[in-house]
Amino acid sequence: MFVLSFLARRLAQGAIIITLVSLLIFTLLRVVPGDPVRLMVGGMAPDSLVEQIANRMGLRDPILVQFGRYAGQVVRGDLGHSFVRPANGAATGGANFDDATRAERAPVAALIGEALPMTLQLAALALAFALAFSSLVGIAAGLRPGGLADRFAFAVSSIFISLPNFWLAIVLALLFSVKLGWLPAVGYGGFSYTILPAIVLAVELSPVLIRTLSGAVAAQMGEAYVAVGRIRGLTETRIVGAHVLRNAAVPLLNLLGVQFSSLLGGVIIVEYILDYPGLGLLTINAVLQRDFPLIQGIAIVTSAIFVVINILVDLAATIIDPRLAY
Amino acid sequence: MDMPPVLSVRDLSVDLAGPVAGRRILDAIAFDVAPREIVGVVGATGAGKTVLAKALVNGLEPPLTARGTVRFRGQDILNLAPRAMRPLRREIAYVGANPMGALDPTLPVGHQIAEKMRAVNPAVAAAEARRRVVALLDAVRIPSAARRFHDYPSQFSGGMMQRALLVDAMISDPALLVADNVTQPLDVTVAAQVIRLMRELTERFQTAILFVSSSLPVAREAASRTLVIDSGRLVEEQPTEALIARPRHAYTRDLVAQIPTIWTRSPALPRTGEPARDRSESSPVIRLEDVSQTYRVRERGTFAGTSALRAVRNVTFDIHKGDSFAVVGESGCGKSTLMRLLSRLERPSGGRILCDGQDIAPLSGPALLGFRRKLQLVLQDPFNSLPPRTGIGAMLEAPLRTHGWRDAGRIRERVRAVMNDVGLSPALYDALPVGLSAGQRQRINVARAMVLEPEILLMDETLSSLDQTEQFRLLALFEKLQRAHGLTYIFISHDLAMVRKACNRIAVMYLGEVVELADNERLFFDPGHPYTKALLSAMPTLEERRYRPEECLLDGEPPSPIDLPAGCAFRSRCPRAFAPCAAEGPHLVTRGAGALAACHRVTAPGARPVNADAAG
Repeated sequence: MFVLSFLARRLAQGAIIITLVSLLIFTLLRVVPGDPVRLMVGGMAPDSLVEQIANRMGLRDPILVQFGRYAGQVVRGDLGHSFVRPANGAATGGANFDDATRAERAPVAALIGEALPMTLQLAALALAFALAFSSLVGIAAGLRPGGLADRFAFAVSSIFISLPNFWLAIVLALLFSVKLGWLPAVGYGGFSYTILPAIVLAVELSPVLIRTLSGAVAAQMGEAYVAVGRIRGLTETRIVGAHVLRNAAVPLLNLLGVQFSSLLGGVIIVEYILDYPGLGLLTINAVLQRDFPLIQGIAIVTSAIFVVINILVDLAATIIDPRLAY
Repeated sequence: MDMPPVLSVRDLSVDLAGPVAGRRILDAIAFDVAPREIVGVVGATGAGKTVLAKALVNGLEPPLTARGTVRFRGQDILNLAPRAMRPLRREIAYVGANPMGALDPTLPVGHQIAEKMRAVNPAVAAAEARRRVVALLDAVRIPSAARRFHDYPSQFSGGMMQRALLVDAMISDPALLVADNVTQPLDVTVAAQVIRLMRELTERFQTAILFVSSSLPVAREAASRTLVIDSGRLVEEQPTEALIARPRHAYTRDLVAQIPTIWTRSPALPRTGEPARDRSESSPVIRLEDVSQTYRVRERGTFAGTSALRAVRNVTFDIHKGDSFAVVGESGCGKSTLMRLLSRLERPSGGRILCDGQDIAPLSGPALLGFRRKLQLVLQDPFNSLPPRTGIGAMLEAPLRTHGWRDAGRIRERVRAVMNDVGLSPALYDALPVGLSAGQRQRINVARAMVLEPEILLMDETLSSLDQTEQFRLLALFEKLQRAHGLTYIFISHDLAMVRKACNRIAVMYLGEVVELADNERLFFDPGHPYTKALLSAMPTLEERRYRPEECLLDGEPPSPIDLPAGCAFRSRCPRAFAPCAAEGPHLVTRGAGALAACHRVTAPGARPVNADAAG
């Protein structure tokens, strides 16, 4: 019962958030300079043709009217069609604005549907790397503040947080694929292509996770129940394993919900540099081509993912610590 | 003591290893505890009692180092390695002063007790451990123990948690239980229940108890023999009654003399500004008319449901100039909400609060500032209520600046005057509050309130964090200030002994309601409400009891202010409850001479329900 009411409340809030995000993106796209019709038809096309196409596509209507029309489609599950990308793959150029293949533009849902699993795979692997590494370093550091592991954690975090991800991506690609030939780096041709970008993203995520985890573990070790637990006769393994880590997981979980946004941001750069065919690469190209429907679709999907992740994180935190239920 | 002692301590010293020089916390302590004996350990805050308790259970943490011997059944356990100590945890149990922090907050209480049982005795199966925990929870009278087994620590009240921790300690049938100040965080009525329970448990489980307490009267309730510790040294050891009757050491004599008396000596009654009989004619400085405060709390398991938490219900009373008015009651009775209402940190959801005839709820801007100048607040916690990096002089200047003082010279002069008033050395003007004692800090708090020359001081548990000696000095200071400045005091407190000494008029609250309102003498010697009587009976003193706790209070705890029972809120714990109590809640009824009580059993001649005007 609690879970149902929690989900109902949070999903309702999430729907509002997604609507506001898409309205914002929708409006911004239409007020910033750069006419998608001009890009579609090319620089040589007469202005009258631009206006004609724009009118036919409804781009000269008031923004709210356009948004209403768009929202109506989205609710029915139709994210629209890309302005630029044809269904068969090759990008349409400006020269062939009257090309017969124009009608065959790719549906946005299909484009996202291709790219999203790739990015989710990358994000999951990056998260797994980051969590595995941060847990090892962070818990060891938290158990003995000021000790060797703590100093090591501090050094590693300082270095990792200072490395720009675009630089790291290039250096790792040079090292592992060009020099050593261990891992493929550019493009995608199987699971092994995910490893290198995942490492880059994990390096970016780790410092904050390590810091939070070691802080939380150290704070929990200072709690009264730890000292009392020893006197009550619990073993140290049991105190740390069953109680301290459980309590320390709550701040970590909350952080993961927030860090997910930085992961999506990091994905854009890393995917672009390593030419990984995920959501990030799709986003960059869509922005460069003023592909309104695609940008809007990506915005809706990413904000929905964000909302869902945060609901799951809060739900998990509530299950661990029932005091968080309200 | 023909049996060999279960615990034998010899020459126990504990040092605090410091960066410069070590400090000795305990010095050459030696005593024995016989099987099934309850031994009390009393001493002032900082005397080393908690360190002693920890040392006895092999629980000292690194900066503390111990020497000497602590023999448990002949085996020295003082510096035993954790692994070697673990089998002995079954025999030596410990309960501390902080019940709410003692268990992992994210796991159910029952599961953690079962976990402990299996940790000290791996032979017990999980199902068997669970069955024993439920049986023992039931034995310490936790209602519906089988369901409570799965509740989380945050769902237990302090008293229930302390009882659950007693279960945790007793689950393995230990030979020795070290109880460190277990009743300190509890309300008096609940503390009395816990002590009664511990006495029962020693008989049932044949456990010896070392009962550490900062209060001699509390130790007397439990212990047959008492040790007195002063600054880390054991200064006296006698059977408890003999210790109280004929203390030998000078420190013990002081300790016994400082325990406030309730019944035997009539206290120096505070000095009301006007004679008491004029009270009904003079207009009150503070008047509460049917004041209520209701909070909305989200209801778990519903979509958007909220329920009403009725923290203060229909409170009506007057406070007159020169009064020392006390609001007493146990945790959760609405005292603190009432404080927030009186100081206008919150506005009441019903009724009115008048200050000099003016409703304080709509005040804003300069008018509110004027009210704040008139009524100042002195807080409970002397450590968290002072900014740690602000000079004391600057702290005391701040209220003046807020209230429009601009001339630096005059501000300085006023601050010096008030520091002198409360007994703070002028040398502290530029000092930081670090390193000051609780008493000194509380003086700063009083000075910060007094600097504006208020007419009313609202003391929210101001003295409860101070030890007996400091309390005594501050009360003397309050009396002096009251005489010099014609102040009116409102004490919000759970400490009846302090109230007996310092206040002339007392309101007793239970679950948000004022159940009794009377002058000091009448309230203590002729209480009209059974709850007042229960409070008085549970109060630990060194004198002969006036009221027997067994007759005054049933087991159990106050109901939740969210689901108030119909009828009288106290009836679930009231030994005198009868049919009408379930039907209708009683109203305050006058018992003559300005004494009122809300109880169906009160049938004073000419009893009549009072309205707002007659109360006071």
